This record gives sequence, structure tokens and C-alpha cells, in this order.
Amino acid sequence: MMLRLLSAEFLKIRKKLLWLLVALGPVGVVGLQAVNFGLRYDYLTKQYARDLWGGLITNVSLLALPAMFIGLAIVASMSAGIEHQTNAWKMTLALPISKRQAFGAKFLLNVLLLFVSCTLLVPFTLALGWALGFAAPIPAGELLRAAYYPFLACMPFVALQSWLSVTFANQALPLTVGIIGMIAAMFGSRFPDWMPWKWPLLVNAWHEPLYSVGLGLLLGAAVFLIGMLEFARKDVK
Amino acid sequence: MANPTWILETRELTKRLGGKPVVNEVNLAIGRGEIYGFLGPNGAGKTTTIRMLLGLAKPTKGSVHIFGHDIRKERIQILRKVGSLVEYPSYYGHLSATENLEAVRRLLGVPKSRIGEVLSIVRLTKEADRAVKGYSLGMKQRLGIATALLGSPELLVLDEPTNGLDPAGIQEIRELIKSLPGSHGVTILISSHLLSEVEQMATRVGIIAKGSLIYQDGIQMLRERAKSRIRFGVSDPEAAWRLLLSHGYQADWDRRQLSVDRTDDRTVAAIVAQLVRQDHQVYRVEEETASLERIFLEMTGTEGSL
Ligand SMILES: Nc1ncnc2c1ncn2[C@@H]1O[C@H](COP(=O)(O)OP(=O)(O)OP(=O)(O)O)[C@@H](O)[C@H]1O
Ligand SMILES: [Mg+2]
Repeated sequence: MMLRLLSAEFLKIRKKLLWLLVALGPVGVVGLQAVNFGLRYDYLTKQYARDLWGGLITNVSLLALPAMFIGLAIVASMSAGIEHQTNAWKMTLALPISKRQAFGAKFLLNVLLLFVSCTLLVPFTLALGWALGFAAPIPAGELLRAAYYPFLACMPFVALQSWLSVTFANQALPLTVGIIGMIAAMFGSRFPDWMPWKWPLLVNAWHEPLYSVGLGLLLGAAVFLIGMLEFARKDVK
Repeated sequence: MANPTWILETRELTKRLGGKPVVNEVNLAIGRGEIYGFLGPNGAGKTTTIRMLLGLAKPTKGSVHIFGHDIRKERIQILRKVGSLVEYPSYYGHLSATENLEAVRRLLGVPKSRIGEVLSIVRLTKEADRAVKGYSLGMKQRLGIATALLGSPELLVLDEPTNGLDPAGIQEIRELIKSLPGSHGVTILISSHLLSEVEQMATRVGIIAKGSLIYQDGIQMLRERAKSRIRFGVSDPEAAWRLLLSHGYQADWDRRQLSVDRTDDRTVAAIVAQLVRQDHQVYRVEEETASLERIFLEMTGTEGSL
């Protein structure tokens, strides 16, 4: 059933700017770093002389984080907006599907789209590194961790944005929350460890990124469950 | 247990919104194969009732049984056999009619061939590959009906499917709906704020006003209430009225017209003879039929409120 719901979701976002946005995010992030490294090539290569790839990955991650926060808010808002536009909820939810699964499908769609964005960071970063003439070996582990750990630690926000966007027909509130998230993420390193906005930075007192990832997954599951139950309880508009 | 003779049955169905009952203890009963006209003026609670029938809104009180099963407990199994169109049609404007139907088809799990079938039933085949946002209201309405038909439902719930259509469009949808029970064995609940709109197709009607169901029976019973009267135009109606009463006729004089209940020719002739004998001048003898719409307006108490 979940697969059927997802295939319907993917059909609905056809011909929408959603896919463009999903590709544009990583292109923009890596593109800005290309400008950064292009303009300050000598300075940066000297600064990161001992680990050129590491320096590049750090810089890409730094930009990718706020982009991810605002990007996921927009993606969630657009995928929910498809239903809000002509209030298609009353059509979809009068079909023989459970409301929980309908909510789950929207959440999963947002997760998958964000996953695609994060995945695209890998080849784009590689291409930039090669273009800048960085030598092998490529730190594959570090690159994959930089792409997927923040994505996983971000789950509370994916769940939150999915929930807000399907709940409110007016997307002003969810988008505002997304913008606040983006700003918070930029200053995340100054927050105490318990703040979820810090987790995608993977910085914590134990110097173990996996703790941040684990916390993100746990809280993400909790927010998702609360949102799903609340969505199922409410009358359809 | 629910009464098995009814395909759809509600008991004391109630919904309170903002503190006041918008739907108040409504007992609907719809039999198999019926076209049930669900009538009521604007704001009467039709859409709110229909939302509860489909499990989109939870009743404050009361129950809904469809095919003998409780909607709260077996919503998904019930909805498998129900097609619906609530309020105005919902659609994905950037997609074509075919893609819209495909999105719903994937959730219903019916064969792909159904899409072509329902498109031809509502006569949208030629326009099927155009983005729906460019459709006229009538076409969107027809797409909504096609979507409702996609799962080959046993019960079709249509909330004001002709809303906003021109007379030709209304006629077309009416013909379409009338053809369904015959050819597909479907039971239909259709709501409207115009009695005249469902009069020609409904087998039974329920009338709701201010949240309460005030009438539920065959359309024939309603027609009987609209029985006609014989009106007399005479020179001195008040004196004529007294004369008729003194001869045992049930005549009415309401200061404007003198009339009796519709009766046979012989009685009418006798009345006229009686009047003429007493030197009344008889100008006209007319038969007057109260329209169903007038009865509907009187029942729902909305007469003169517009
Ligand atoms: N959320 C709400 N809070 C308070 N009252 C509401 C709410 N939603 C609807 N109502 C009221 O419920 C009543 C019934 O509305 P409903 O949409 O069911 O009427 P309807 O019979 O479908 O009318 P129409 O012919 O205009 O479609 C209306 O008077 C409306 O004002
Ligand atoms: Mg309505």
C-alpha cells in the first residue's frame, strides 16, 4: 500500500518545479564553493595544504546545512501545496487509504527528495575537487559521511516541516519556521548539545558524530509519530 | 446491528461546530439502487453530513452504517465500494485528466483500462491529455464524477455535482446520473439546494433544514402534498363562499380567492350550477397546481428570505 501511495505522490509532482529545486540546491552549494575556491585558490590551498579534499568537504558542508534547512521547508511546502491548491485532501482521504499512511507517504516523499539532494552533493563535490586539480586519494568515507550524516540528523525538521505544511493551507507559517531553522543552523555551533538545530553539525561533547545522528533519528521518529496521529485525528477540511 | 435493507443508514447523526449543532440527529436511510435526493437550502448541513458519511469528519454523536458496517470501524473496506465528489471538484491542475485519474487509480488498485472507461462515460476522452487547470467548470465537474466512478463503486455520493453549471451542463450531468443505476446497478446519494434539479431523477428524497431532517420519503408523497385546487372567479366571492359552505362543500375563502380541493367534473359542475342559480356571476373556473418548489420552500422555511 505504501508503495502505491508513494508512486501516486511521485506522479503528482511531475511537471512541478520540485525536481528542479532538488537538483538546484546541491548545484548552488557546490557552485558557490567553486567561486570561493576559484577566487581564493592560493590562500585556501595553502590553508588546507595538508588535506585539500578535507578542506573542500568542510566548506561544502558549511554551506549545505542552511541550504538543507530552507530547501526542505520549501520541498515540504510544495509537496503539501499540491493537495491544498484545490483542497484535494477531501478527495484523497475519501479513498480507501488510511490517513496515517497518507501522512506517511508525504513524509517519505520529502525524505526521498532530500535524500536525492544530499546524494547529488557527492558527485558535484568530486567534480569540483578534480577541476581544482586535487590529487587522489579521495576520502570516500569522509565524503559520504558529510553527505548523509547531516541528512539523518535533520530528521526532526523533515518531520516537523512535513507536519506543518500538511496542517496549514497557508504556507506562511511553515516557511517562517523553515527560515528560522536555517538561521539557527548557521549559528548551531554556539548552541548547547541538546538543541536539535546543532545536531546536523555533528558537533557534540563526545566528539562522536553518530551521537548527533542517533539523536536526530530518535527525535525525528517521535515528531513523525505525533504529527501522524494528530493528522489522523483531525477532521479533513 | 444495522438494518440490512438499507445500504446507508445514519442514526441520530450529529455534528456540533463552533458550539451549535450544524447537523442535528439526522436519520438517513437509503435503499439499494435508489437515487436519493438530499435536499436543503444553503448552509443546511448537507456537506457536513456527507463528510461524516465518508469518514472525513467525525460525528459528535450518532453513527453511520454503510453496507451494514460502521464507518468508524471499517472505513477502508467501506470506502473501497464508495465513490464520492464533495462540494467542488478537487484535481491536480498541472496534470492532465488521464494523469489525475492515474494518481487516484494507483491508490485504488483498479486496472488501467478503467481510466479510459470513465473518461468515455463523462465524455472527456478528447480532452483527456490537456492540463486540467485549463478546463471549464463543467469539464472539471465531469472529471470529478469520473474520479468518483473510477473504483466501480456500489454507492456514489455526489455533493451538488451541478453547482455552477449552465442549464445545458446541468441537463448533461442529470442524464449521466440517471443512466448510472440502470446500467451499473449503483446506489446514488445526490445533494442539491434545488428540488427541481433532482425531482426528475430521484426515487426518494430527504430534506434537511437548519441541520434537521424534516422529510424523508418517496418523491411521490411529496407530489401529493402539492395537490392542486379548483379556483373560482366570481362577482361576490365572500357570499359565494357562504353559499358553498351552506351546501356542504369544503370551500376556502382567503380574502383573495375562492377555492375548493381538486375534485371530479360532476362536483365542479354542481358547484357552478349552484352559484349561477343564486345569481352569482362566474368569470373563471381554474385548476391551480402548487409547484413542488413552493412546497419545498414552505417546508424549509426559506421562503422570502432571499
Ligand atoms: N468550522 C465551522 N464552524 C462553525 N460553523 C461551521 C463550520 N463549518 C461549517 N459551519 C456551518 O455549518 C452549516 C452547514 O454547512 P454545510 O456546508 O454543511 O451546508 P450545506 O448544506 O452544504 O450548504 P451549501 O448548499 O451552501 O453547500 C453552515 O451554516 C456553516 O456556517
Ligand atoms: Mg455544501
